[in-house]
Amino acid sequence: MAFELKEKGNALYKDGDYTGAEELYSQAISKNSREPTFFTNRALTRTKLGKWEGVEQDARIAIDLYGQKSPSSLKSRWYLAQALLGLQRPQEAYDVAIDAYRASLAAKNPQSENLSKVILRAKQAIWAAKETTRLREMNGTLATVELLIEADLKRALDDVQGQLDRGEIGETGLREDQKALQDKAQEHIQNVREAFRISSNGDIQERIVPDHFVDGITFEVMHDPVITPSGTSFDRLGITKYVEQARVDPITRATMTVNDLRPNYALKAACEEFLTKNGWAVDW
Amino acid sequence: MMFASKRLAKELAKMQEHLPPGISIFKAENLEEWQMDIKVLDDNPIYRNETYRLKFTFGSRYPIEPPEVQFIDVPATESAQESRRPIPIHPHIYSNGIICLDLLGSAGWSPVQKVESVCMSIQSMLTANHKNERPPGDSEFVTYNRRRPRDINFLYDDDNV
Repeated sequence: MAFELKEKGNALYKDGDYTGAEELYSQAISKNSREPTFFTNRALTRTKLGKWEGVEQDARIAIDLYGQKSPSSLKSRWYLAQALLGLQRPQEAYDVAIDAYRASLAAKNPQSENLSKVILRAKQAIWAAKETTRLREMNGTLATVELLIEADLKRALDDVQGQLDRGEIGETGLREDQKALQDKAQEHIQNVREAFRISSNGDIQERIVPDHFVDGITFEVMHDPVITPSGTSFDRLGITKYVEQARVDPITRATMTVNDLRPNYALKAACEEFLTKNGWAVDW
Repeated sequence: MMFASKRLAKELAKMQEHLPPGISIFKAENLEEWQMDIKVLDDNPIYRNETYRLKFTFGSRYPIEPPEVQFIDVPATESAQESRRPIPIHPHIYSNGIICLDLLGSAGWSPVQKVESVCMSIQSMLTANHKNERPPGDSEFVTYNRRRPRDINFLYDDDNV
């Protein structure tokens, strides 16, 4: 019975009816609250709805049901990390994701790539929070303007929430409006910062990622660099995919296997230091 | 989930800032198919005053898998004032635009290659050529081949060309 509800929920999810799917998963859970897939499915659905508190709850329950050490819990740990990011708790998101990433590599689980992305996002969010504090402390006027923009955003968000409560817009409309407002506010803040930066008398930092931090396969800043026998470093996931398939070093074409890859700790530390100071580089 | 689109977006951003001489972007509106124009820079009489158009098709496994790259024949357009883009004559290029180049095959491809470096390799392949001829068996190949370029096992035997 509970599993039938889940199947129906899956069908609605596939059709994009997330609110309906969430309701059915909730019904399934009320009949059987020991089945982890009910929680993981509801977590995924709530991810689509941006209901991060719910995602966090569901993911934590699913992880408990699977068991913290079980590879089956990795997907839920990925959902949890995303929820924590959505809830503006990037440090916690980072801790969850890095832990799961290590477990995922050890278990050769396909979640590694997703987790790797969340790790970078979390690093970026941690940096962005620090950067905001730093800039606002540096310039009181900038802080005032940014706070005004944020207050304005909050008013507008309350306004659309009101429209939803009065039934003037639906859940989808609400999410679209929220996203548009947030993007707009973010754009205003970027513009203001840019203006202040330009007028700050040559205090403008040029944003350049040094080539030696950039992975030659994904073109992103490395966060888990490994080195090939011929001495070139790549980020672990991309090179692993290539070597598993081609069985040669991408530079020299000498025969090699994934086991020939060694972690490059010095480069890893350097990349980490760079990202700590330059969180924008994640989006670069 | 693969990184193809992000990597291509970065390649494009870099190419829009700077490209080597003789190579330009004709069209890169989406992350599935791009078209590049290339010119041979030295005075090789076979290719003098011509521009050629390369079509890149990317799969979701790019850059782990190679892109599909071939020349396309484009008629001159009066409105855009563009001359014709023919298929260059070369002992490794069939008259339907398919290129026989080891780095474009699964066995010769490396994920550190990128659109720009592929264009440069093809550019230098033309620069170095002095034989005004098509590959042996060109007309049969063009008539009968229905396979995709990267599935064809070319023989890369005459490396001196």
